[in-house]
Amino acid sequence: MRRIFLLITPLLCLAPALAIGDSPSPSVGAWNSYLHKQLYGDREIGEVDENYMRLDGPANTPDPASTPLSLHLGKAAAGKIKQVRIIIDNNPSPLAATMDLKPGVPIDEIDLRVRVDRFTSVRAIAEDTDGRLEMRSTWINAAGGCSAPPSAAGGGQLGDIRFRPSDDNKSLLVSLRHPNSSGFQINPVSGDPIPPHYVRHIKLSAGGQTILEADTGISIAENPSVRISSATALAGPIRFEAEDLPTLKNYSATWNGSAAKAAGTSK
Amino acid sequence: MKRLRRALLAITCLLSAMPAMGGGEFALAEVAPGVFVHAGKPLPLDAPGHDDIANIGFIVGSKCVAVIDTGGSLRIGRALRAAIQQRSRLPVCYVIDTHVHVDHVLGNAAFKADKPSFIGSDLLTAALVRSREFFLKQYAADFDAPADAAQIVAPDRSVAPGETLSLDLGERHLQLRAWPKSHTDCDLTVFDDKTRTLWTGDLLFVQRLPALDGSVKGWLGVIDELLKLPAPRHIVPGHGAVGSDLAAMLAPERAYLRMLEQGVRAQIAAGKPMDAAIREVGASEKGTWLLWGETHPHNVARVYQELEWE
Repeated sequence: MRRIFLLITPLLCLAPALAIGDSPSPSVGAWNSYLHKQLYGDREIGEVDENYMRLDGPANTPDPASTPLSLHLGKAAAGKIKQVRIIIDNNPSPLAATMDLKPGVPIDEIDLRVRVDRFTSVRAIAEDTDGRLEMRSTWINAAGGCSAPPSAAGGGQLGDIRFRPSDDNKSLLVSLRHPNSSGFQINPVSGDPIPPHYVRHIKLSAGGQTILEADTGISIAENPSVRISSATALAGPIRFEAEDLPTLKNYSATWNGSAAKAAGTSK
Repeated sequence: MKRLRRALLAITCLLSAMPAMGGGEFALAEVAPGVFVHAGKPLPLDAPGHDDIANIGFIVGSKCVAVIDTGGSLRIGRALRAAIQQRSRLPVCYVIDTHVHVDHVLGNAAFKADKPSFIGSDLLTAALVRSREFFLKQYAADFDAPADAAQIVAPDRSVAPGETLSLDLGERHLQLRAWPKSHTDCDLTVFDDKTRTLWTGDLLFVQRLPALDGSVKGWLGVIDELLKLPAPRHIVPGHGAVGSDLAAMLAPERAYLRMLEQGVRAQIAAGKPMDAAIREVGASEKGTWLLWGETHPHNVARVYQELEWE
């Protein structure tokens, strides 16, 4: 039974062409050997300096199942990027997120938490409004993030959404209570495989316009969260929407301003 | 040439004799009458000698011997068994595991031949199953080659969290108590009524930074409960020096865990991401604990996830 999930999972969350079976030896590097071609064809990808874009991750992760990643966009990039992909080369499902940003909105930081299955390169590839592709990467040492048992998180129910803005409203942490099961996990009590159940799409809007929309997969950690930080205050109301697989359930919540901050609006 | 050969032979003999000498050097302290502790070394889990970092030992009754934790390898388990045989001809009737961590349980298999009853928390078996692959892959060299799952010994008798089990060793009783999720989800303490010795497992870390794999709120709750028990006279922590004042020994750990809980909660409330919490929470306490860099980021990450939805 477990094997079936192992086979289904990559099919569910990636194009079949990206399934596990195609993954060559990790020492060659999944990126060079096939991911580049499948995601971007023959397009050239520049490697930018950290003033343009930087991807921070822990050299040794404090938690393979919930490894923090922090993408920083410099002045030259903030507001001029239309899409960023986060790729974890050696994960069974390398494409962690494809994030579409709203050009003109000066987002300068995006924080995510991801599962990291083993020692890997993690890369961010940004496409700017002129269609240029730029890349930054980092190395993370981890083991077992995709098969780790569910966390000890207490409180909240599936679908709860929390908004946690900074005092100046320039940054906002949004979290969704959701197992984001990878399909590689085992129920620690029964020993049975936990079927895949993960968020496939999220959308975040501010003041009526979509500022971030992302396709996500099983490489996103349990209780998916995204934090964005902007050079200017985010306009209210803020709305967050998510859809999962395989249940195709929708989760959404709206935050109208600091009055709701303490309450933590939920669905 | 002959001389050189002889010299080489002598060195080889010396080297091959060393493991046996190592067994002889297995230090034991009798911290109370019939209560023997082998002190673990303050090393990280990936350093050479990582199989000998936990406090392990045994208690001798008039009928038989109870082992409490067996070390992080079969080698350490065997050294402990040899040390017991030097001190007592009584059989080993119980092997008690205080929790699932590799540095406490991998020596279990060294005692199989004694046919003891292996005892742990109700949740220990599931935790061992969960850790099996990780142990075999990450700590393969700490098993007998080839490493296999048969060398990971699970309990045949267990104690439910919140309950106690009394074991009769002859002229002394051990009270085993299992606890709710705290350091891990399968923590168990041992209390020897004869000498009033409390064996805490990893519910108490002395000097070495506490490692959190369960629940910070649960652990703080268990510390409160431990302090309500009739005061023990001798305390054997999971790591660090044996002592006699439980409250004083628990104080630094309790302060650290409270700081973690409050610090991380404030970071979450302010909308800070996990990596900021790892950088900022507790930074001023770095110098007061051993192995901070190896353990603190992990602890913050755990607490962050635990508190995010409260």
